[in-house]
Parts: sequence; structure tokens; C-alpha cells
Amino acid sequence: MSRIDAIARSIREFLRTFVDLSVAERLLISVAAIFLSVVVGFFIILASGRVAACETAAWTMPVTGLGFCYDPFQVYAVLFNGALGYPFAFGEPGLFNPDWTPFNLSLGLTLSETTLLVFTGLSVAVAFRAGLFNIGTQGQLVVGGLATALVVVAAAPVFPTGRLGGIALIVIGVFAGAIAGGVWGAIPGALKAYADANEVITTIMLNFIAANIAYVLVLEVFRAEGSSVVATQYVPEHAQIQPWFFPGSADFAEAALLAGVLFVVGLYVLIEHTTFGYDLRTSGIQPAAAEYGGVNAKLTTVRAMTLSGALGGVGGAVWVLMSEGRWIASVPDLGFDGITVSILAGNNPLGVFPAAFLFGLLKGGALEIGFQTDVPTELVAVLRGLIILFVAMPEFFRMIGRYAGLDGSGPASGATDDSAAASEGGEADA
Amino acid sequence: MRNPLNEVHVPVVDDLIEDDYVRSLALAGIALAAFLTTLGIGGLLFPDSIAGDLAGIVFNAGTATATARLAAPIVLAALGGIFAEKSGVINIGLEGLLIISAFVSVYATSLVGAGNTVLGLPAIVVGFLAGIAASAALAGVFGVVCIEFKADQIIAGLAVWLIALGLAPFMSTVFFGGVNTPNLGVSVGWSYSAAMVVVATAASWWTLNHTAFGKHLRAAGENPKALDTVGVSVSRVRHAGVLLSGVLSGVGGSALALSIGQFVGSGETMVQGKGFIAIVAYLFGNYNPIGAFGAGVLFAGLDAMQVRLQQLGYAVPDTLVQTIPYVVVIVVLALVGRTRLPEAAGEHYETED
Repeated sequence: MSRIDAIARSIREFLRTFVDLSVAERLLISVAAIFLSVVVGFFIILASGRVAACETAAWTMPVTGLGFCYDPFQVYAVLFNGALGYPFAFGEPGLFNPDWTPFNLSLGLTLSETTLLVFTGLSVAVAFRAGLFNIGTQGQLVVGGLATALVVVAAAPVFPTGRLGGIALIVIGVFAGAIAGGVWGAIPGALKAYADANEVITTIMLNFIAANIAYVLVLEVFRAEGSSVVATQYVPEHAQIQPWFFPGSADFAEAALLAGVLFVVGLYVLIEHTTFGYDLRTSGIQPAAAEYGGVNAKLTTVRAMTLSGALGGVGGAVWVLMSEGRWIASVPDLGFDGITVSILAGNNPLGVFPAAFLFGLLKGGALEIGFQTDVPTELVAVLRGLIILFVAMPEFFRMIGRYAGLDGSGPASGATDDSAAASEGGEADA
Repeated sequence: MRNPLNEVHVPVVDDLIEDDYVRSLALAGIALAAFLTTLGIGGLLFPDSIAGDLAGIVFNAGTATATARLAAPIVLAALGGIFAEKSGVINIGLEGLLIISAFVSVYATSLVGAGNTVLGLPAIVVGFLAGIAASAALAGVFGVVCIEFKADQIIAGLAVWLIALGLAPFMSTVFFGGVNTPNLGVSVGWSYSAAMVVVATAASWWTLNHTAFGKHLRAAGENPKALDTVGVSVSRVRHAGVLLSGVLSGVGGSALALSIGQFVGSGETMVQGKGFIAIVAYLFGNYNPIGAFGAGVLFAGLDAMQVRLQQLGYAVPDTLVQTIPYVVVIVVLALVGRTRLPEAAGEHYETED
């Protein structure tokens, strides 16, 4: 007993050093939000497993003997283990799966999603830091991706088909995506700056408009001949970003992920250590003060949204050149997931990478859940929403922190934390 | 003792007649009427032209009923949004409330079984009430998160949308084996939707402008301190505002789904941004229920027209026509521009003891 107390105290001591640090606090809140979402998700799986119809129970609750159609432990094991390609062998003599290689299909899919989310997450984060809520990354990605596909297909005959020509086409394609996405992002920026139109609404509307216009353009003008779906021609093989080690069916290229990491570092430097970044941040936090200090807030708004849109457009370019090889009308929700990534990252470019990886895991895991269990894969979308909800309420975690005595005002044990989390779970369930 | 509430300045009501906004709205109304008249005359004179077809669409009973059906979720969610935002809580999660009520209303109706009754209530009424309850419950969670835990309202509202966007298709798959539910075989007539919209608009207008609760609500958004000083709990008023947004959106979402008798959960679900259009509708209406009603009916009418255009087989791709309402929303927002948010909207209020 005293030993548990001692451990609890040392954990408390450890955590207390973080309580006043805002970056560390954000990190702690993000981790707690993920944990809490997993807990709430656990109960959602149980509840839906109770009402769903099945032949035999997948899991029986100890003590009560109640049967459930879905096994929440299995769901989470498949979700996280499967997203990595099953490195762990649960229930086997050795913990690790001896047949596992890092360059497997599942991990490739996970990293593919991670790469795309890095770009869309950065797009949302840049706007956020300027005090703008860009929900339009989805539309910017759609427009940027289409521009990339069209420009690369049109420019392909001009360039040699070798490796160098391919690289040139990729660079041109990414620029085309960035420009198109940037223009699409500048529209709500200008509307916000000069007509005072709320960017949350305009960007949501522009998402619908982008999807519809791109669809019609491809359907009527640019549709590949003989294609059964609404899609453009494939860009030539040599202009696609190719994998080095991963299987081609994973649609993942290490080079793109590397570029994503460079973007993360570049944007971190841009936002934190340049004059433009300073203007951006001050007009985000204190627009009036920024204006007083000589910052052209209106222009900064337009610039920030253009940059944000350009990043979304690059995301679209990577989606076309790495994942699909063409623009196809069923564009995944990468832009919306970018919002989640950015919020979880505390809008810090450096945080975008781990947050994108987490959502990459959820995406890769969702596919595995679809293969291995009867649980609807929409579960992952629910988890996404829950994570956002919990990240949005830091005060809740501070309350728990105070209750658990993290500010040093009273004794507490680790158990209070868990029970508070569990009761909150029940509430959010409703 | 002096009543500080007397000093709460409520410009929307006080300056209604003086307002530039109302003048421009009236102008827009006249322009629309003139356009419709021209179209009507053109249609009568040249029945075989495009104008004739357009007139046929605009002055068509089918378009009118479709407008009534589509207006219900937009107008009702907009009314709910007014109550929440007037009280100081920006509820951007209206879309999520529409989604969850649309699904639960269909689910509850199918649970009871079309044709059966519970306590004398037909299944479809039970479904309606269940949809409202689900939406109110989600709004309640949103309220607790925003008011008690001081969450960022925009992000929490976004979370409400994303949770509903995941949860409704999830539950549909659990219960029905697919993201779309089977058709119930029963539906609510458009006249019920229209009646609910009109009654709710009138009741909201009355509540906001002619009741003590309405005054408290506006004070909670404009000057919470004054409200606190006269001894009314700001957070209780705000909870009420958010819950009302849940109830009204619940009516709208249930009406949307039950007017078809099915929940469609693929893509953006059957709600398809109507919750966000509702936000624009009340901004356009400058937080006035009657203005929101007008804007909501206008957006719904545009939507209904594009459905009819498709049925007539015009060469214009239907997707492009579908885009019109969204473009109109942006143009409207850019022109109306500076909508005046309640002074304290989006801010947390700390009671000073």
C-alpha cells in the first residue's frame, strides 16, 4: 500500500513539473483526450455489441456472464496491431510475430495516410495560428489534386520519360497543386479580410462547390476514355511518386513522407522564427495590437489563407501522384481529418507529425477492423469526433488535475483519475 | 433598486426600422418579387421557352411541396441556432444535431414498427419524439462541455458534427447492416413540415421578443454581467438556449428523415450541409427568426428547383445546379458581411461571488 502511494507520489511529482508548461500541458491533454476517447469507444463497442444480432457471443463479460457480439479488447488489438501489420503475436509463446517485416502492406497504408494528413494538418494549423479556422482544406485538396492531375497529364509528352523527366513532372505537378489550392484558399481569405464574411461558413460552402465543380469538369471534359468511374487519365508511371521498399499496392512512397517531414520543419521555422510568422501569430492572437504594431492584418489574413490553401493543394498533389495516380471523384476526407490532426497537435507544426501518425494508425486499423471483425468501421469516425471533443475541453482535464492533487494542494491517488474518466465516458455516451 | 437590465441595449430590436440591413432585405425581397413576376409573364407568353420551363418549375405544386420539405431542417436548425447564439453560445454543431435526430427518428419508428402504437401514439410520432430527444441529449452534452468545461465553442461544435457523422452511420450499420436504413414505408406529409416551420418561427419570434426568458436570453449574450446582477444565472440561461437549439434541430432532422421515411448515411449523410446552411440563414436573417425563415425558405426553394430541373432533363449537369445554393450562400454572406454577433458570444462567463 505504502509502495503504491510512493509510486503515485513520484508520478505526481513528475507530472507537476509539467502542469505550468503550456506546451507540455497541451501534450498531456492530447494524450488524455486520446485515452478518454478509447475508454468511451470501449463502451460504445460494448453497447452496440449488446444490441447487435449475432449467432455466438464474441465476448462474455466476466462475473455477469452477459454475452456481447463485439469483443472490445479484440477490436482495439486489431486496430493498433493491424495498422502496423501485426508485429505483436498475442497469445503466442513469443510476444513478437517472427514473420513481421517493417515493409508490409498494412504499415504502408498507415504511413500513406500519415503522409497525406501531414500536409492537410499543416494546412489547417497555419490558418489556425493566424486566428483563422480553415475548414476548407478539403476543397483546396480537391482543387489542387485536380490541377496536378491535369497539368501532369498535359505536360507529360513534353518531357523525356526517364527518371529526370519524371522528377520534373512531379515538381511541376506539386507546384500546380499548390497554386490551385492557394487560389482556392485565397478566396475565403479575401472574403474574410475585405467583406468580413465568416471563414468557417465560406470555407464549408467552398468545399461543396469545389467537389461539385471538379466533378462536373471531369465528368464532362476531362474524363478518361472508357473509365467506368468519374476520373481523369492516369498520370504516366514515371511521374508517380514511387516507393523504395514498401509494396506498390500500399500506395505509399517514403520520399513523400520525407518531404512531409521537411514541410513540418520548414513551417515550424516559418511560423516561429520569421517576420512573416510573427505577423501571422500576432494577428491571430491580438489583431488590434498587430495592426497598431504596423502589421497589415487584412493582407496577413489573405496570405495566411493562401499559404494554408497551398498546403492543402500540395496534399492533393501527393494524393494524386502517390496514392491514386489520377484524380478520382471519390476523394477521401483528408481535409476534414486535417482539422482533427491540427487540433490534436495544438496547431503546432511539430505536433502535426505524431498526430498525423495517430490518425494514420486509425485509418490503417479501420481497414483491418473491416477484415477481421464484425464491428462497423465507422467506429473510427466516432473516435475521431470524441478526440476532438475532449481536446476542446482542457478545463475538464485541469479540473481532474486539481481534483487529483496535481497542483500540490491535496493528496490523491491515481484511482480518482480513472474513475472520473469512466464517469465522463458514460455521460458522453448519451 | 435600479434594474440594470433596463440598460441592456438590444440594437436588433431597437433599431429594426432604422437598420440599413432591413432596408437591404426589403430591397432584395422586391427584386425577387420582380424577377418572379417577369418570369411568370415570360412563361405565360412563351410557354415553350426556357423561361416557360423555369416558370413551370417555380410556380409548380411539386416545387412548393419540395420546398416545404427541405425548408424544415434549415429553418428549424436556424431557429435553434438563434437561441443558442443569442444566449452567448455559438452552436456550429447544428449539422450534427440534424444528423443524429434524422437517424434516431427512423430507428425508433422502425423499432416500434410502422403501424403499431405506443400509449396511443403512432410509431412515426414516437420516432419523431425520439429524434428530438436524441438531438437534445447531444446538445446537452455540447452545453455541458462549453459552459461547464469552458471548451472552445467552435471546436466543440465541430466535434458534435464529426461525432454524429460517425455515430449515425455506425449505428445504422449495427442495427440495419448498412449505412442507409431500409425505407419505413410510412412518411410525414409535407403539410406537417410546413406547419411546424411556421409555428416554430412564430413561437421563436414571440419568445425572443415578448417574454422575460427572451430578454434573459439576449442579456446572457449581450451583457451577462447585467443578467448576473439582477440575480439570473447566466449559465442556466445559456444551457436553456443550447437545449432549445437541440430540440428545434431535432424537430428539423426528424422531419427531414421522416418526410422520406429513410435515413441515408453515405458520404455527408442525407443532411448534406443543411446545418451549415442554417447558420448562414440566421446570419442572413440577422438573428431575427422571421428573417431566418425567409432565408431558409429561399435556400430550400433553390434546392427544390434544382431537383425539378434535373427531372425535366436539362443538359446542365445536375451537380452544377446543386452548387447554386452554396454559391448564393457565399455571395449573401459577402454582401451582408458584417453581421453583428452578440457581444459576449463565444466567451465564457465567470460568476463573481
